[in-house]
Amino acid sequence: MLGVADYFWRLLPANPILRRVVETGGKRRRDLFIRCGYLGFLIGVVIFSLISSNSSFGSMSLDQLAKVSAQLFRTTSYWQLGLVAFLAPVFTAGAITQEKDSQTYDILLATPLTNAQIVLGSLLSRLFFVVTLLISGIPVFSITQVFGGVAISAIAYSFAIAAATAFVTGAIAMAIAVFKVGTRRTIFSFYLFITVYVAGLWMLDTLDYFHPALADGTRSTTSWFTGIHPFLALRVIFNEKAHIPPDVLALPSNLQRWPLGWYFSSPQTFYVAFMFTLSFVLVSPSIVFLRRLAQSSNTLRSWVLQKLRITKGDKSRKPRAVWSNPIAWREAKTKASAARASILRYVFIAAGVIGALVLCWMYSTTYEPDRYVLLPDSYDADNNTLTMFGRNDLPARMPRDTMVQYKEPGQEKRDMGLASLARGKYQVVGQPAYEPNPRGARVNTIASITLAPLDRRVSADDARKFLLGMIAIEFAVILLIVTNAAASTVTREKEDGSLDLLLATPITSRYYIWGKLRGLVSFVLPLAAVPIASILMFVLYDLYRAASGQSFDWIVFPESLLILPGTIVVVVAFAAILGMQMSLRCRRTVMAVMSSVGIVLGVCVGLALCGYNVVDSRGLGQVGLVFGSFSPFTLMTLLVNPRGYANEQFGFNASDPSSVATARMLVFVFGWAATGAYTMLVWAMYKSMVKNFDMTIRKQSR
Amino acid sequence: MSVVIKTVNLTKRYGTLVALSNLNLEINAGDCFGFIGPNGAGKSTTIKILATLLQPTWGEARVCDYVVGYQSRQIRPLIGFVPDYFGAYEDMVVQEYLEFFAAAYNINGANRNKIVNDVLELTDLGYKRDALVDGLSRGMKQRLSIARVLLHDPKVLLLDEPAGNLDPRARIEMRELLKELRRMGKTIMISSHILPELQDLCNTVGIIEQGELIYAGPWADIVKRARGGMVLHVTVADNPAAAGALLAQNPGIESVNPNNGFLEVSLKEGVTDYSFVPQQLVGAGFKLMMLREEEVNLETAFMRLTKGMVQ
Repeated sequence: MLGVADYFWRLLPANPILRRVVETGGKRRRDLFIRCGYLGFLIGVVIFSLISSNSSFGSMSLDQLAKVSAQLFRTTSYWQLGLVAFLAPVFTAGAITQEKDSQTYDILLATPLTNAQIVLGSLLSRLFFVVTLLISGIPVFSITQVFGGVAISAIAYSFAIAAATAFVTGAIAMAIAVFKVGTRRTIFSFYLFITVYVAGLWMLDTLDYFHPALADGTRSTTSWFTGIHPFLALRVIFNEKAHIPPDVLALPSNLQRWPLGWYFSSPQTFYVAFMFTLSFVLVSPSIVFLRRLAQSSNTLRSWVLQKLRITKGDKSRKPRAVWSNPIAWREAKTKASAARASILRYVFIAAGVIGALVLCWMYSTTYEPDRYVLLPDSYDADNNTLTMFGRNDLPARMPRDTMVQYKEPGQEKRDMGLASLARGKYQVVGQPAYEPNPRGARVNTIASITLAPLDRRVSADDARKFLLGMIAIEFAVILLIVTNAAASTVTREKEDGSLDLLLATPITSRYYIWGKLRGLVSFVLPLAAVPIASILMFVLYDLYRAASGQSFDWIVFPESLLILPGTIVVVVAFAAILGMQMSLRCRRTVMAVMSSVGIVLGVCVGLALCGYNVVDSRGLGQVGLVFGSFSPFTLMTLLVNPRGYANEQFGFNASDPSSVATARMLVFVFGWAATGAYTMLVWAMYKSMVKNFDMTIRKQSR
Repeated sequence: MSVVIKTVNLTKRYGTLVALSNLNLEINAGDCFGFIGPNGAGKSTTIKILATLLQPTWGEARVCDYVVGYQSRQIRPLIGFVPDYFGAYEDMVVQEYLEFFAAAYNINGANRNKIVNDVLELTDLGYKRDALVDGLSRGMKQRLSIARVLLHDPKVLLLDEPAGNLDPRARIEMRELLKELRRMGKTIMISSHILPELQDLCNTVGIIEQGELIYAGPWADIVKRARGGMVLHVTVADNPAAAGALLAQNPGIESVNPNNGFLEVSLKEGVTDYSFVPQQLVGAGFKLMMLREEEVNLETAFMRLTKGMVQ
């Protein structure tokens, strides 16, 4: 008994790895700054939320105060989770790899420490920092208790969801390091994965398809993703009407059983339990195989790559021709040809192209309706009868005065004889109106019937919405990839010592930086072509419809093909040059990647928020489009889905089509103006970097 | 003989730490200059300054009459720098690595292929041209480093610990390669801790400690300077203690110390004729088994001239 207690005592409280971090971690100045920054940010969010509530607290009723408090809690919870998702990979990514980097890993393995002590000590010592961050935020959340309106259990859930997210992140980092799937630089892949996972599932969650039908015929507020998505699970605890999970008994009988019943009726508790369990599942094999894997000379990644025949595992291959600018060649070729980068690129390109094709196919095809009229086969003019297909309805008689109405989506019904309708398949809207059936009559007589074109699998509005979501995610991923590549480009050379070799050659700073930029652009251009190709698919489809004489409304305005490539390339160049700037200034890759990703995200999110607010501002009217065009993501929205975000400015509801033309012209002109402005900014940054290159590098030389 | 490398009061500070202090050095064309000193003495800093990677805090460094800092662009094509680490590039094979640096020296087209092939042949790396650089052994990597700096046929080679961590065979091969380069007329500045090899390779040496140059010149001179009083190793058949006591009384002898079966007899400075030692011992009836002069090499000279102080 004492032995078991001693084991657990040594496993955690007396774990030397954990103790070292706990004892020294709190004293480090860097950690103090991060903690203060985190807390300061949360306090800033609280103050901003209170100010933007736009009311004087003295004149508020208790109910209003509670509403302000609930809003405050909501905002702070989202930010807390966002910050944890952003910071947890930073602190956990180096759990084992830092030991490897500082060459203390082998020493640890040679000590009598057990595998469990090493794995849990490393993991918990990393999570210790994130947990202390969370704890330091408790006073901020307690402010909501002053106003009321927020249950303590909701605050507990908010913290539990953030903690579960941190734990699963740490466990993944640990598994990656132990199973040698990646290195410390894998931190970037974390961000990529988190971005795509969070944004992608959030988008898919908006589709009814993923919300199971309830027993009463309505759709469940929780989807198949709510219980495995941190932000969707968090949304459930805010007690908002649209997101209150259904009762177990309201679910269809096949979903009432455990664990599905639990999953749909209490996704927040499921998320917390599932993520902690997943963390345990991920950590367990690391504990079992730690020393065995450390003895293996091959990495799991290279083993998988060899099995997939992506690499042969050879120590040699045929040399490739080196360009006359060796820096650009290295940046473009060796990065792009590295097995992991190749997979990433192919997966990205394939996913983007397949996604766009599926969306285009869904938009261009229709649902088979329950009951349809196929002209001319349905209508027998000689006998004045109409056959409706799909439900085995008997043919109905149609007197000459039968009212046949036609309804296009978004338009009023209009009278239209069957003869006026083009050949094709039409759905029957609702029930046809029958005349009272005379006694003994064998055939029903139709009094009126409404026909409509068949429903598309994805409506035009949904197609625009998904296309926008897709290319926005693609653009964000491209920005992350290029920022990471640029931010690590010089620091990696500093770390492996190859920078000194280059600086001792006649290569000038201008040549070096230009080569890097050229290489980065070559590396990223195939990726940047993916969102453009997605838009091109829809424009071509619309042009085909126009050529075949079908009535159509542009899904995406074709001018977006003239504006977006320039915007994407120049914003990518901005991210690249910013990443390089940080790469020059920072000594370590992780720091350079972190700071550049933070700045690029901050700039893009900041500009997007400003852009959407300006476009949304009713007072500004079409002037809002001018300013909105200067924010890349807003410009993308204005080009791809103006109906969803700038309906009024484009005047889609107005009878005068000239306002649409004016809005399109404004976006076209100022979209290019924005691209020009960003180009000048990038050029200025490039010139400044060339000028300061030697000074910056020499300052760091030792 | 023209001076290729010259430093005048070269000083480098890192904050309060003085890495180099008023270093005055001259290396002539065709010289092989061995730069020796304890860890942290300032060898790598000096080489990095000469390789235009560091700016001196004050003082001046010239390479082929060009001033480091002001005329670095003119210096870079004239030098080949091998650091004390191997600057690795992942996912590059040997030939690509060399072509990459050839392109960096603006060697392009058919000429590049020819030069790369020549250099691979000279360094015996031809059979490794398709091998990934990452997978090479330490010795091969060092060879590749030398191959890299030969691409543009530099006048001056700045080699920082090129034989560090190499196995005996790789070290010998490296030494032969450097000898070959010296025969080709290159001026070589090499820092190393393996003193016997420097002695074999270099005609001049410099000893640096705590950023200050203690000595620079032909290595034979340094040995003479370090020699001081001559040391003899004497072995007698019986009673070495009595023999030692007898010798200690001689005015030409500084001290006598028993050492692992023989007597270590230190003569006074200026005493070069030690014929009196065997005469005295034989005259006193001792049976003389061995008498030899202790060899003074670079290693012993280094030990005598430096104090083992580290910054």
